[in-house]
Formats: sequence, C-alpha cells, structure tokens
Amino acid sequence: MDESEDVPKDFIKLKSEKLSVDEVSELVVSPYCGAVSLFIGTTRNNFEGKKVIHLEYEAYTSMAETEIKKICRDARQKWPSVKHIAVHHRLGVVPITEASVIIAVSSPHRAESLEAVTYCINTLKASVPIWKKEIYEDEYSWKENKECFWANSEK
Amino acid sequence: QVSVLYFAKSAELAGLRCESLSVPRHITSLQLWEEIVKAHPRLAVIRDQVVFAVRQEYVPLGNQLVVLQSGDEVAIIPPISGG
Repeated sequence: MDESEDVPKDFIKLKSEKLSVDEVSELVVSPYCGAVSLFIGTTRNNFEGKKVIHLEYEAYTSMAETEIKKICRDARQKWPSVKHIAVHHRLGVVPITEASVIIAVSSPHRAESLEAVTYCINTLKASVPIWKKEIYEDEYSWKENKECFWANSEK
Repeated sequence: QVSVLYFAKSAELAGLRCESLSVPRHITSLQLWEEIVKAHPRLAVIRDQVVFAVRQEYVPLGNQLVVLQSGDEVAIIPPISGG
C-alpha cells in the first residue's frame, strides 16, 4: 500500500511542547511489525518527602541528538530485527504527571522491541546530556542519574 | 579561541551559558579546567562531578591531552539527569 520501502528510521525530537504518545507510537508503526513497545517517563510529585511543584529540563541539544542517534545505532546492532525507533524528550517546564520522555520501538516480534526500549531508556539516562531540575515549594535541586558515571554516588 | 558552554549547575555558578576563551592548542583536560576556574572561581566546588565534552565527545578531567582548534566547542557537563 505504501510506496516507500519502509526503511528502518530513527525519529529523534527534543521539544518544549507537550509530548504525545499517539504521535510517537504512530511514527514507528509498520506493516512488517507485529509489536510496538513504548516507554513513557512521567514526572512524580514527590522526592524524599518534599513536594515537587514541577520539573525543568535543559539540554546540550546538538550533542544530545547525536548521543541519542548513537543509542539507536547500538540498539539496532544488538537487535537487528528492530524496525523504527522514536525518542521524544521534552525540554523546559514539565508539570506533574506529564511525560518528559517517550520512547517507541517497533519490531516483527515483541521480544526485541521490549528489550530495545529498555536498553534505550537505560542508556539515555547514562549518556545523553540532558539535565533535570526539581522545583520544590521553597528550593530546587539539580538531579543526578545514578547511571551517570561521573556523578558522586556516595551521598 | 574556543567556545565554552555552561549547562545546569555550572551555568548557575558561572553566571553565563557561553563565552569565548583563549587556550593553548595542546592542553590537558585538567589544565583546561583550571583555566576556566580562574575566570569563574565559583566553579571549583563542582570539580569532582563534571566532565568535559570536547567537540561533543566526553573527556574526563585528568591528564588526557586534548588538541583544540579555533572555534571548537568545549562544554562543561555536570551529572546528567535526562529521561
């Protein structure tokens, strides 16, 4: 039906507008794939007893996109049957319960897309230059992913 | 002359997001850090928690020699928290 060859594609976007699960999953849908796996990262309303008002994200945008492309390339090496990968990350203010990141992966059968989505979010947290600030009622805090190898993990 | 980019906590401590800096063409990453701290002493507190990104490749602070060209981007990368 579709005249294009359905070549595997990566869809990477960093944007400040609200993310759409429908939009991201539709990007990866393919007639050759029986599975679309999704991860949605949403903002929680509390951290260590403090009430979180909202999150703010910033990014080294050009490098973040390059690092996400590398993650997609590596995911395809590990799971060659993966068809399309979409990674959308929100920047700026993200209110509670809204999505900060959506990752979708399609593959013919479910095992590969489920594993690839897990790999993508775990690796994103370890290597993509994006920062999150949690805003509380009377202070704020720059978060540090435990996956980040140069963060001080002892405190 | 390289472009130094500051992000997250390092931008707050330095008070800016971007500036030009004159540095030697061959320099260790630790020496590069020390040049930057001379200009922005408040950055000293995060020394143990940052890495550089030189031409968008991560470089830890240490004896690594970096070769810089005019116009290169050098970014200060505090611990990341994407996702």
